[in-house]
Amino acid sequence: MADPAVASGGPLNAGARGSAGKATSSPAENYLLARRRTLQVVVSALLTESGFESAEKAAVETLTEMLQSYITEIGRCAKAYCEHTARSVPTLSDTVVTLIEMVTNAPVTPKALSAGQKRTHPAHIPSHFPEFPDPHTYIKTPTFREPVSDYQVVREKAATQRRDVERALTRFIAKTGETQSLFKDDITTFPLIAAQPSTIPYLSALLPSELELQALEETDSSEQDDQTDGENTAGNAITDDPGADKENSMLPPSGVVPSTKASEDNVIDNPYLRPVKKPKVRRKK
Amino acid sequence: MIKLNSKQCRIYRVRVNDLEAPFLYNDPTLEVCHHESKQRNLNYFSSAYTAAVSAVDPDAGHGELVIKVPSELWKQGDDLKVLKVYIEFSLDQPKGGLHFVVPDVEGSMAERGAHVFGSCDGKMKIFSCHRFWFPCVDSYSELCTWKLEFTVDASMVAVSCGDLVETIYTHDMRKKTFHYVLPIPTAAPNISLAVGPFEILVDPYMHEVTHFCLPQLLPLLKHSMSYLHEIFEFYEEILTCRYPYSCFKTVFVDEAYVQVSSYASMSIFSTNLLHSAMIIDQTPQTRRCLAQALAQQFFGCFISRMSWADEWVLKGISGYIYGLYLKKTFGVNEYRHWIKEELDKIVEYELKMGGVLLHPTFSGGKEKDNPTPHLHFSIKHPHTLSWEYYKMFQCKAHLVMRLIENRISMEFMLQVFNKLLSLASTASSQKYQSHMWSQMLLSTHAFLKSISNVSGKDIGPLIKQWVDQSSVVKFFGSFAFNRKRNVLELEIRQDYTSSGTQKYVGPIKVTVQELDGSFNHMLQIEENSLKHDIPCHSKSRRNKKKKIPLMNGEEVDMDLSAMDADSPLLWIRIDPDMSILRKVEFEQADFMWQYQLRYERDVVAQEEAISALEKFPTPASRLALTDILEQEQCFYKVRMQACFCLAKIANAMVSTWQGPPAMKSLFTRMFCCKSCPNIVKTNNFINFQSYFLQKTMPVAMALLRDGQNICPKDVLNFILDLIKYNDNRKNKFSDNYYRADLIEALTNSLTPAMSINNEVRTVDNLNADVRLILEEITRFLNMEKLLPSFRNTITISCLRAIRQLQKNGHIPSDPSLFKSYAQYGHFVDLRIAALEALVDYTRVERSSAELQWLLSMAQNDPVHYVRHKILGMLCKNPPFTKTTDSALCNEALVDQLWKFMNSGTSHDWRLRCDAVNLYYMLFGLTRPSCLPLPELGLVLNLKEKKAVLNPTIKPELGVGAPDPVSLGVCGVGQPPQGLKRKADTPLGSPPEPGQVLQQQDDDGRGARYKIRVRHEDIDMETVHDSQAFIHHHLNLLERPSTPGTHTHTHTHTHTHTHTLIAEYRNTHTHHCRGHYIHVTSYKQALDNKKKPAKPGSVRRTSTSAGRG
Repeated sequence: MADPAVASGGPLNAGARGSAGKATSSPAENYLLARRRTLQVVVSALLTESGFESAEKAAVETLTEMLQSYITEIGRCAKAYCEHTARSVPTLSDTVVTLIEMVTNAPVTPKALSAGQKRTHPAHIPSHFPEFPDPHTYIKTPTFREPVSDYQVVREKAATQRRDVERALTRFIAKTGETQSLFKDDITTFPLIAAQPSTIPYLSALLPSELELQALEETDSSEQDDQTDGENTAGNAITDDPGADKENSMLPPSGVVPSTKASEDNVIDNPYLRPVKKPKVRRKK
Repeated sequence: MIKLNSKQCRIYRVRVNDLEAPFLYNDPTLEVCHHESKQRNLNYFSSAYTAAVSAVDPDAGHGELVIKVPSELWKQGDDLKVLKVYIEFSLDQPKGGLHFVVPDVEGSMAERGAHVFGSCDGKMKIFSCHRFWFPCVDSYSELCTWKLEFTVDASMVAVSCGDLVETIYTHDMRKKTFHYVLPIPTAAPNISLAVGPFEILVDPYMHEVTHFCLPQLLPLLKHSMSYLHEIFEFYEEILTCRYPYSCFKTVFVDEAYVQVSSYASMSIFSTNLLHSAMIIDQTPQTRRCLAQALAQQFFGCFISRMSWADEWVLKGISGYIYGLYLKKTFGVNEYRHWIKEELDKIVEYELKMGGVLLHPTFSGGKEKDNPTPHLHFSIKHPHTLSWEYYKMFQCKAHLVMRLIENRISMEFMLQVFNKLLSLASTASSQKYQSHMWSQMLLSTHAFLKSISNVSGKDIGPLIKQWVDQSSVVKFFGSFAFNRKRNVLELEIRQDYTSSGTQKYVGPIKVTVQELDGSFNHMLQIEENSLKHDIPCHSKSRRNKKKKIPLMNGEEVDMDLSAMDADSPLLWIRIDPDMSILRKVEFEQADFMWQYQLRYERDVVAQEEAISALEKFPTPASRLALTDILEQEQCFYKVRMQACFCLAKIANAMVSTWQGPPAMKSLFTRMFCCKSCPNIVKTNNFINFQSYFLQKTMPVAMALLRDGQNICPKDVLNFILDLIKYNDNRKNKFSDNYYRADLIEALTNSLTPAMSINNEVRTVDNLNADVRLILEEITRFLNMEKLLPSFRNTITISCLRAIRQLQKNGHIPSDPSLFKSYAQYGHFVDLRIAALEALVDYTRVERSSAELQWLLSMAQNDPVHYVRHKILGMLCKNPPFTKTTDSALCNEALVDQLWKFMNSGTSHDWRLRCDAVNLYYMLFGLTRPSCLPLPELGLVLNLKEKKAVLNPTIKPELGVGAPDPVSLGVCGVGQPPQGLKRKADTPLGSPPEPGQVLQQQDDDGRGARYKIRVRHEDIDMETVHDSQAFIHHHLNLLERPSTPGTHTHTHTHTHTHTHTLIAEYRNTHTHHCRGHYIHVTSYKQALDNKKKPAKPGSVRRTSTSAGRG
């Protein structure tokens, strides 16, 4: 008596009832109840199919509960597998693996869909493990290009690349700044970056550029050590200088550098490294 | 009367032993010709200038500042007691002497890297300009000891001569005072000063040596100076004498006057000599500069010259020992190459400009005895010398020293130097016996005496020929082989009639390479013998397969098939040791030159052979040159020279040339990849010889021309490929010079554009090759803005290339690009390159606007060196010359240049002489042709004027007027001229004399003639003295009653001096005229001790007495 009701009218009623009875509940809860109903219907249908005339409500509930947890577990596992392989949407294979894991017989791929000769398990894989997938799913054909090792081409390429970079860079600078031109009528074909006088022109002309220092670094490390060493000390000297006025000026400006060296070589007695004396109060012109 | 040298200074008051002393201050060189003279010719100017310089010549006991010792003190003077002279002076915006570099950026002086240094032509040391910054006896022969004090900002370091005794803060702790003591007697011109926020580096090998450079350059300084100790060791070893001073300082400054200048115990260098370890080309140059500076420390600073005429000895010795250093460090090949180069230079100069006289004697002292009438300047004073001449003078001096060495051997030579040095150092330690100090001054006589004592040889004829006489020898040689007598008939002719040549009589060495070996023959060149018979040792028909012995003992196989079958002669060399200052033009067959090139081991012979082979464009010459190019044992400079010769030969053989363009396959083999011959290997400059060759070959190849006289297409592509594939990433060294040379190669490949009826050059009608070239230049030039190369070498090459493109009509000729690069604020090399292009533009386009622009820069630029270079380049590449007509040549230009050299350059001797050179180049010695003819009866006119204006002048006229055209009476016309000036526009530039003449118009008249009378009374020798008198008397009227206040105002007006040098003090004690100078805030006191002794002092005292 209850069965047909449960089996046939259940969903509708449940839906109606659910929505009516839990009008106040949130939509999420509604969905939950609706799914529960659906499962109950499924369970009832299965029971009917299996030849039961009727079932106690508690029994149906228990079976529903079991079915739900089983499905949930499949979903959870499948999701875990999928995430394990860094995907976000589970695929069929994730589910299959899950089912295998849960010791259920995996659904057999329909014959029509399988292709090629499957590989047999190697000795170290127990036979209860699933079969290899179809060969086409894992066979690979390398498609990368042979790296160019021909010297001439490499040089050619490096040269062109550098030239292109340089040209692009200089053109950009020329476009964004002041230019000079060799032709009065056309100032774009050969744009020359305008000559800017600098306040201390000898610095840029004498000091090696960053790039050159870098190149040196690559070729000769011992040489390079020396260089950066010098660079640092020079840097120190500059930063020291402005502040040096009162406190540091016990030493002549930037005399710091050799004096540290001096301590290594023991005492270097050089008058320029000696501290500046305080004026004698007595003797003043 | 005491006479001192002083320029630019404003002198407030002079006291002698606390008594006010009247003084005269007149600088006759401010304005050389004292009026708007109608005389516009160089002869006139040059004699007036010489007279002006003579009038203040310290060696003759003259000076700009004449102090009259108060009569109360005469007694003391006669008793040879010490006189103390105090001079209060200030220096207001000095234009010369001291050079201030103050970059225009934010921050304190120290942060900005501002510095100041004595910008005297130190290297030359002839143009002693110390009188520019303090009153002194500006002569090398007046020695005294010094005590110097400099008070500078606490962030600065003051570097000067002698030992730094102590550094003391001032009371406010914001400044410090550097105390220096120089116990070794030193002349004023050897004193210098540099102040700046220097970084200090104590030499790691020699702790008494300290190096200074500008902020941020310390790493470069470390590297550049890492070699100095070896130079020290070398000199000390060969001279067997310790470095005479107790310490040595090197200072690297920006905007240096010259690259190297040496002073007592310190040298000032250009900061541009510093370089990093990556730079190849600069390294030997910097080391050479260091070596020069150090050589001058011994001879020039420690031992200085007795008089100007003895200058050659010191320059000669320092140049000679510098040469020994070159020989030791860079090798014999480099040394011989350098000697040849120097010899060629001096020969070329003398043949072109007339002789260079090392030891001028001025017996009569009158113009008629001028030993060098061919020159447009006088060589009587260092200050009147042309710069070029002085460089040649130095060059000749060291070559002559080498001749002396050839004569007496190097051992004796070094013994002589050692003797001179030890005498001097003994003398210098004699603290209280100043008469001993004269040992520290070297004269020609003393030097020659020392030589004859040590070596026992008479070098009189040599000295007479090369030192007392100017000019070089010019030989023409040719020969014939007399088969019958087996004798070589050599004919040596001389040209001794053209300018710059002299006749040589004496021995000459001839080396003949025969089949059986090399033989030296000493021939005697006599009055009328041209022909010399030299017997040959070998039989002409040679024994095949026999090795041929060379001069150095080596035996080589030669392919003798090229030889003349009848003669055993392989090659002949005249004067192979360069023991005569000569030019040899020798004729021998091409195969002989080829043998000489291949087998003679002396680089000089090889270079001579290469030059000679240019005239023989044959396949055999080509082969010989190619072989030399490939031979790695061969000296790299010879190989470089061979490149250029090969290019010339290839061009001459263009119709018959077989195979690829000259040198291309060679370059490919040496420097390109084996697998892909069109690509150059990645740079590796470890082997310097091949580096230099790699740099040079493309430059030479670009000179190749095909039948149409343009650069062959594949050569151009080849160079473009070199640029394209240039890869320096794996290189330890910078490739900036290499890339600069590749651009130079592009420049060399340019040929004049096809002229299509003078159309305007636009981008569209650009030649395809030129477009490629321009593309590269643009890229290089732009990249350089982002990644500047060392010394901006690449930009410099690009600027040259652009000028060449313009000149050849490929792109429109336009000076604006160069002008922007010539501005102050660019690196100095860059500016010079841009200016060079502008000078060239001016000449080609005859642009008067650019000429004006250049001249105004020459007058106003802050950097002395640039001003000097502008005038120098204008002389080398003049817009027009005295013999050509040009629209540029007009009266205004004559006036401008005249004013410039007459009065605009009084602060810089070098610049004035440059201006004189330029004037000579443009207008010649006589009146410029563009000037309107002088009014007829000028003399009469002048007389009339005078008569009309001022009859009282008549007595004077008797002295000066009879011949106004005659030289040396420059000042005579003054009174009328003064009036005339008022009518004209006043001459703006020189303040002093001009003003004086203006001021005197009303009240001065009467007074002036009184002075004139007095002038007669006190017997002034020159007109300048009278001028000084006038000047002085007028000054007296204006002199501030309280000098102190005045001083104050000046400290404000002149900020540089104020901040950097607040005070200094020096003390000298001296054998004949020591001074005790004590300066506090621009006040200076001078104390004059008259000690017994020396003829010099007697002379001086007597003059004083006579005057006073």
